[in-house]
Amino acid sequence: MSTDVILTSDIHEQMAVHQPKQRGKAGGFLRRTNVLTGSALGIVLSAVTYAIGSKMVPWGTQNADYSQVGLNALVGATYVAWVIGFMIGIGAFAGPVRWMLGHDITHDDSEYMAGKGQGKWKYWKYTTDHKVVGLQYLVMALTLLGFGGFFAMLIRTELGVTWAEVFDPNFYNSLIGTHGIVMIIAMIIVVAGPLGNFIMPLMIGARDMAFPRLNALSFWLLFAAVPPLLSNLLLGGIRDGWTVYQPLGAQAPVGMIGYQICIITFAFSTGIAGVNLITTIVTMRARGMTWNRVPIFVIGILAAAIMGLVWFPMYQYSQVLAFSDKVVGSSFFIPQEGGSVWLYENLFWLLGHPEVYVIVVPATAALLELMVVFLRKPLFSYKVAVAGFAGIVGLSSVVWVHHMYMTGWAPSAGYPFMLSTELISIPFGFLVLVMLGTLWRGKVWTRLPMMTVYAVLWCKIIGGITGVYLSDVPVDQYMHGSMFVVAHFHFMLMGAGLFGAMGAIAYWFPKMTGKMLHHRLGMVGFWVSFFAFQVTFGSMFVAGLQGQPRRVLQFDNAFEISNWISTIGAYLIGVGMLIFLYAIITSWRSGTIAPANPWGAKTLEWQTQTPVPLENFPVLPVVTSDPYGYGVPDPYDSIELKLTDENLKVGA
Amino acid sequence: MSTVDERPTAEAEEPEGPTNRPEPSYRLREWLSRPYVRHILIIFVILTLAIIPAAWLVIHFMNLSGAPASDIMYEIERTMFVFTLVSAPVMAITATILLYSLLGWGRVHGEEPPMQESPAIRSNPIAIFGWIGATSLLAAFLVIWGLVELARITEMSNGTTRANQQPTTAKPLDINVTGQQWLWTFEYPGQQSITSDVLVVPIDTPIYFNVTSKDVIHNFWVVELGVKIDANPGAITNTGVTPNKLGNFNIRCAELCGLHHAYMETQIKVVTQEQFDAWVREMGGKKFV
Repeated sequence: MSTDVILTSDIHEQMAVHQPKQRGKAGGFLRRTNVLTGSALGIVLSAVTYAIGSKMVPWGTQNADYSQVGLNALVGATYVAWVIGFMIGIGAFAGPVRWMLGHDITHDDSEYMAGKGQGKWKYWKYTTDHKVVGLQYLVMALTLLGFGGFFAMLIRTELGVTWAEVFDPNFYNSLIGTHGIVMIIAMIIVVAGPLGNFIMPLMIGARDMAFPRLNALSFWLLFAAVPPLLSNLLLGGIRDGWTVYQPLGAQAPVGMIGYQICIITFAFSTGIAGVNLITTIVTMRARGMTWNRVPIFVIGILAAAIMGLVWFPMYQYSQVLAFSDKVVGSSFFIPQEGGSVWLYENLFWLLGHPEVYVIVVPATAALLELMVVFLRKPLFSYKVAVAGFAGIVGLSSVVWVHHMYMTGWAPSAGYPFMLSTELISIPFGFLVLVMLGTLWRGKVWTRLPMMTVYAVLWCKIIGGITGVYLSDVPVDQYMHGSMFVVAHFHFMLMGAGLFGAMGAIAYWFPKMTGKMLHHRLGMVGFWVSFFAFQVTFGSMFVAGLQGQPRRVLQFDNAFEISNWISTIGAYLIGVGMLIFLYAIITSWRSGTIAPANPWGAKTLEWQTQTPVPLENFPVLPVVTSDPYGYGVPDPYDSIELKLTDENLKVGA
Repeated sequence: MSTVDERPTAEAEEPEGPTNRPEPSYRLREWLSRPYVRHILIIFVILTLAIIPAAWLVIHFMNLSGAPASDIMYEIERTMFVFTLVSAPVMAITATILLYSLLGWGRVHGEEPPMQESPAIRSNPIAIFGWIGATSLLAAFLVIWGLVELARITEMSNGTTRANQQPTTAKPLDINVTGQQWLWTFEYPGQQSITSDVLVVPIDTPIYFNVTSKDVIHNFWVVELGVKIDANPGAITNTGVTPNKLGNFNIRCAELCGLHHAYMETQIKVVTQEQFDAWVREMGGKKFV
């Protein structure tokens, strides 16, 4: 058999594969770019822009408002110059420019861009291989989680030290805003980025994503968006929470510009990634992989990509308008000049709510995918799971006003949006049913990824129930803007999202890195985080019920005990997460070598070798069944038949 | 419970013929006789009973800073209470299956994929439709409860009815609430526009709040009275409440409004009508004489 295998690469060599007409030689600028040239050009371009701009802007004029507008415009231009300079410097536009000049990228250059024969350096370049992009996303997500977690520790320190102000209130307000948006970005990318890019194409039996260069573009746009965001803390901060409600945002110092540039850039990145993921899933599945044989994780990624693609522009647009308010003195959101604060809130929450599902859906889908492997049992009712995802995608678009019950905007809107919000618990219930049905009578293989399934299901049910409270307008009249809300969405985003992501990363770690994740260290880190999480946010529920508003740094004595408990719990979460991170780093560097299919799973990504070769499969696979063919016939069925025979005898 | 029936269809078309499948009642009894089903049902009942006290606990926590001082707050607490009761079985069934999966159906340890496979249950129409039906009924109950309650507290905010559905006769009191960074100002337009930074209101009188802001968005939250509405710049939002308990209660800002957001607190003093009139005279006297 082995002698008869024809490799696709052999076919390519033997056949005269049609190449576009090419002029010029391979190589050039394209091969000399990397993250260093990108950063250098970005810094140079932004420095030049700042230098020229500061000469032109009416700096230090008597009119305080005008000079602020000028400064905002200057900083905005500097950040835009950074993003453009970085993208030029990393070679993002080399392909399009060559194409416009009439000579396309040669086959050699394409392979070079895919990372062929470049060793580790390819992770620092504009590499198009989906596996490289996936690992870049993984490291970026872990880095952002590190920043966000560090900010969380600072916030809890302030709230735990009830007898003094540790930080300046402005800095504290900036911390909560930066913690929020950094974590939101990290959580949006932590599953859909690494696993959606690395694993999903393997899972559907494709050689790469549909648009490999767009794939690299989406990652490096994200990379370019992060420094403006983090630099806001040095430029006065975003003192407005991650929502940056106007007109408070309009009062903020120039750090706000960093936030706005980050969101506008990140929205481009998300849109490009969404188009790429959707196109790949729709058009590049292996032969025989009909829609009812697609692994459920792929369906989850598709659902998240659709929601992100449709709703992210709303958020982006809100920031474009707010940016315009800051730099040219327009008044979209300035009520004194005819703007509307409610317009901002609507635009913001049109993404703001679907974004929660963009975070939770891929993590849930990943757990559905992996739990069958550890239970050796088919997925319970694939169709109900798909219906659940479809229902969430549909309903997610008509629930945003539940964030605005107490704004006074359209009080009667409370009725329809309470209805739609509580209806969304039904498709969420579908997913819980699928999880419980898959657990039903399964013998558990107690590895780390499987343990996260239990953790997530627990957090999701608490987050779901408290979400039902909050969807109710009368209850929201007490709970809105209180710590109860904070605890609720941490149960969803961290309990269901991040713990799910930890399970998913642990599960696919062997395929992505070629090493096994250290089981015991990972377990310790995970369980410490999980139990500390319950303490932290359980106690925060109590603070919210007592009536503690969110985003405060000092509060009544009545809330002290719950806050002390929360702070202790938060430090323990930090310890657990550091242990987990240590497990990831040591395993990646010096873990035991992973076999190709350590879990005995049936999806396609485990059928190719580890490390995955450049074009993934020597021969493209053909799919003949869904990947859930685990399990043995139900023993109770045969008992039933036997009893039936007896019944028949008695009847006769 | 069986999986998909794999009998030839010809057999199903003969209702008179001998069937391979036992009676539904027999199948139910057989299912209930399985050990794991019994265990799960028992654990489920115990956990449900164990979770139900959480309903009182929730109310206890909400009352730590003060018991309800208006019918609106009473309705809010009752909604919390009912929702917690309704959630108890959902929470319990999930927790039961989690626990039983970890402890009851067996575990395999070790690094090698287990040799033993579990039963291949791909679907179960009864479970699926039962679950969808049950969750839909629960959601319908919560939605209907919420809609009715929202209509009730909206009416109470407008001061037209009390919880006992009797129209109120007391003359309503208008108060203009203005938030600014970082304090509240209360103006009494019907009382010669006296202003105060502490809210003083008479008991059992419907109060209308016209809420606005001078600069950024604040949120006017009278904690024990269950009043909450954003104070928006450039717009006036309305709400109302009828306090039914004497005492001092908290007013907090529940929307991040900048530097001293945490300290944007004041008090509401609910007093008798006589005390209120005296206070108005005192304030007005200071202002106009």
